[in-house]
Amino acid sequence: MTAPFDCAVIGAGVMGCSTALFLARGGMRVVLIDRGDICREASGVNAGTLTMQMTRAALIPYALRAHEMWLTMPEWCAGGSVLATACPGLSVAFTDGEVAMLEERARIRRAAGAPIELIDGRAAQAIEPGLADGVKLAGHCPIDGFASAYLTGRAFRQGLLDAGVTLMERTPVRGVDGRFKLDTEAGPVEARRIVLAGGVWLEDMAAWLGVTLPIKVLINQLVVTERLKPLMRTVLGVASGLLSLKQYANGTVLIGGGWQGIGDRARGGVAVRPENFLGNVRLAAHTVPALREARLVRSWLGLEAETADALPAIGPIPGIEDAWIIGSVHSGYTSGPFMGRILAQAVLGQAPDLPLFHIDRLLHERSNAA
Amino acid sequence: MDLRIAGIARPPPVTIAAFGRDIQAHPGESVAAALIAAGQWRFGEGEDPARPRTAFCMMGVCQQCLLRVDGRLVQACLTPIVAGQVVTPA
Amino acid sequence: MMFDLAVLGGGPAGMAAATEAASRGARTVLLEESPLPGGQVYCAPPQGFVAKPDRDRRDGDALRAALAASGAELRTGCRVWGLGGGPLVPAGADALPFTLSALGADGVPFEVSARALILCCGTHERIIPFPGWTLPGVIGLAAATILLKAQGMLPGRRVVVAGAGPLLYAVAAKVLAGGAAVAAVADVATRGEWLRALPALAARPDLLAQGAAWRARLLAAGVPVLSGARVVAAEGDDVLSRVRILARGVERVVEADALCVGHGLVPATEATRLFRARHLHRPEDGGWVPMLDEGQRTSVRFLYAAGDGAGVRGAAAAPASGRIAALAALADLGIGEGHEARRAEQAAALARATRAGAAMARMMALRPEMVAAVPREAIVCRCEGVTRAAIEQAAADGAATLNQLKHHTRCGMGPCQGRMCGEAAAALLADARGVPVAEVGFATGRMPLRPVPMDAILGRFDYADIPVPAPAPI
Repeated sequence: MTAPFDCAVIGAGVMGCSTALFLARGGMRVVLIDRGDICREASGVNAGTLTMQMTRAALIPYALRAHEMWLTMPEWCAGGSVLATACPGLSVAFTDGEVAMLEERARIRRAAGAPIELIDGRAAQAIEPGLADGVKLAGHCPIDGFASAYLTGRAFRQGLLDAGVTLMERTPVRGVDGRFKLDTEAGPVEARRIVLAGGVWLEDMAAWLGVTLPIKVLINQLVVTERLKPLMRTVLGVASGLLSLKQYANGTVLIGGGWQGIGDRARGGVAVRPENFLGNVRLAAHTVPALREARLVRSWLGLEAETADALPAIGPIPGIEDAWIIGSVHSGYTSGPFMGRILAQAVLGQAPDLPLFHIDRLLHERSNAA
Repeated sequence: MDLRIAGIARPPPVTIAAFGRDIQAHPGESVAAALIAAGQWRFGEGEDPARPRTAFCMMGVCQQCLLRVDGRLVQACLTPIVAGQVVTPA
Repeated sequence: MMFDLAVLGGGPAGMAAATEAASRGARTVLLEESPLPGGQVYCAPPQGFVAKPDRDRRDGDALRAALAASGAELRTGCRVWGLGGGPLVPAGADALPFTLSALGADGVPFEVSARALILCCGTHERIIPFPGWTLPGVIGLAAATILLKAQGMLPGRRVVVAGAGPLLYAVAAKVLAGGAAVAAVADVATRGEWLRALPALAARPDLLAQGAAWRARLLAAGVPVLSGARVVAAEGDDVLSRVRILARGVERVVEADALCVGHGLVPATEATRLFRARHLHRPEDGGWVPMLDEGQRTSVRFLYAAGDGAGVRGAAAAPASGRIAALAALADLGIGEGHEARRAEQAAALARATRAGAAMARMMALRPEMVAAVPREAIVCRCEGVTRAAIEQAAADGAATLNQLKHHTRCGMGPCQGRMCGEAAAALLADARGVPVAEVGFATGRMPLRPVPMDAILGRFDYADIPVPAPAPI
């Protein structure tokens, strides 16, 4: 049994990793614990879209700062890189309904600080020559981009180790006693503070502390093609947000958009739904016709957490001193590193660069019942 | 020496165009086998010059023999010869 | 269309399973990727090709004839890319029929549903990498079998045959009989290993005699047959021109225009992995295999596995295991009765065939000393160009499992999705970490089962008909 850590972060996804990293940089002795491998759940398998046009309006100031962090990650994370690439983003509308949706959403996002301009189909094709005819209106954001999410764990690992974080992978935590003794499969771990960063499993983690925090689980499907000749140079979606397309430097095209597969918290991602696989790739082929030629090599699932109001849970856990929570950030990969940084600032007793998302609002049911 | 084993009756050969030249092959043979018989082990450049496309597993698993037949991407090992096919690199 | 039973894979196990089920009254469909059923050992030649029948052809023809007479629906030349239903349902929902999404031989997509599914997906070849294995002119041993038997084609004029197991001698003898020169046979097994296998092979005097005849023919032709030998490099400018072989400490260079090489067979478990069936790591069965009961039942209800895909036992054992799976499925579905006597008879046949098959499978099992000898610069994952050195670097950087190795190196993320390299990569990762190979696990199974061209599955659709879900809140 070693001396207690200053802070134990449970959950080694992008939220937990960045929180742990900035806590350690702030001088704390930090342990980062995960039941599996680092960034092997949503943080390692998401679509890697770094776009303002799928980000919720309230999160845009955060996403803009995180976008910059992803692009400069090697500088603040010991050379670690997710091959973040800045490129223009387009969100396109093919129907009148989508035009109306796009106009409204672009206006709200622009008001929140995203530099989105509306352009016609021809102008959109000038930016993305692979785009189909028939686009009525497009939102264009010059500062979107994408990353290779599967590199996230590798990218964070060296930075964490260099910062002195103790990394405990494949070490399930079974519960928390007192303040704070973690019951892990590798024995007890003591810490003066804890941060729960468990993605879709935050509901189970909060229950360790007697807190009821309902978390909805989205089972997002993704599909990837084999390497193709250059077809695209933007990160591309449709106004509804139900398509994301990008081509990586290696030629593969990733097709996402949050079509739902089968799975749940207990079982993880169980299966891709063939009918949603088909719907998703039809939307992709409609938007970039040259994709019709591509061969699809793999589909997979990533689990995304969502609170009752679909806004993040980031801040202190009410009623339990020195216990914190971070997660349920919509399109959370985009804003992830910045969210970890502001939570770390708060834990360190500093003023966060932007406000946290306190969870009091999500706990009404419990206080009513009590 | 022809690589086709003697003593096997085959349908009469047909002509296909492969990588810019005409070759003779028997309908029903796989495109991969016909190319090998024609001395064409290389099926095109891969991502890396050290790993050109070629036949390897012959059973549709390794994906190395990908090429285009009449413009469509196919696996040469699973695609039977039909008269007049035009075979080009993937 | 709804069937009682779907059988995926039309090799000897699949043909026998479908025949047994259909002839006992189950509405049965068999889906096979090749134009004709048969599998690798019993593969049929293309239409219009007529050769003198050999024993494998006669055995294959008998299975094909029984299948044709059984009433099972046969769909050949089709590529099954999607699997669903069965246990793959939301929590709390009832199990659904299995669904198989496929592309027909005519290029038209179709779907079948079935209450039970028997997987007879056969094997892939294992290749322990060596420098130059990616050169044109180097093919698998099983690939050579397909060329020789199904296509009536020699792989080259001067051929080196290398690797492990009885296929080595079968291929070498056929190359010789076809009129080409066999420049060398390089068997990784020692004479002692073959001698130790003899008692088990005695259960199959026919195979023993065949093997002896092959060897005798090779020796009579003056072919160097090297024991305890492995290929250390394949070399050539554009295509293969020579092979370096190391046998008992002596390296020799052999001129050749083709190298047929294989280090054993690995059960194809994509489908059982996709259905989240439980698997066991059994090197003597070829690696990861689905956990099965005596009825070939996997851990997933109404899902069965048979033939070499359920553990390498050879073509002779496959039909009995397919029939046992079919009988178990019929019993589980409540179709017909009185299956017990037939089951007992097939179980006895399986046990007989298994003894010789298991001895051969052991000969073809992964050899740790060969894995250890892979040079650092050798390409392991051919699709993505990943070397042993890259795998070792990933291990040093914290990649502990095969799934993590993919993320570190892209090993297994190319078009073959790790089917060719997965086993070798797992062994090398385990070697780098100093843990047993089972500890690095296997890649999660996912659709599509094979790369599928997008335009082939898209069909005709209107934008308005795409069932776009409700958008997320702004």
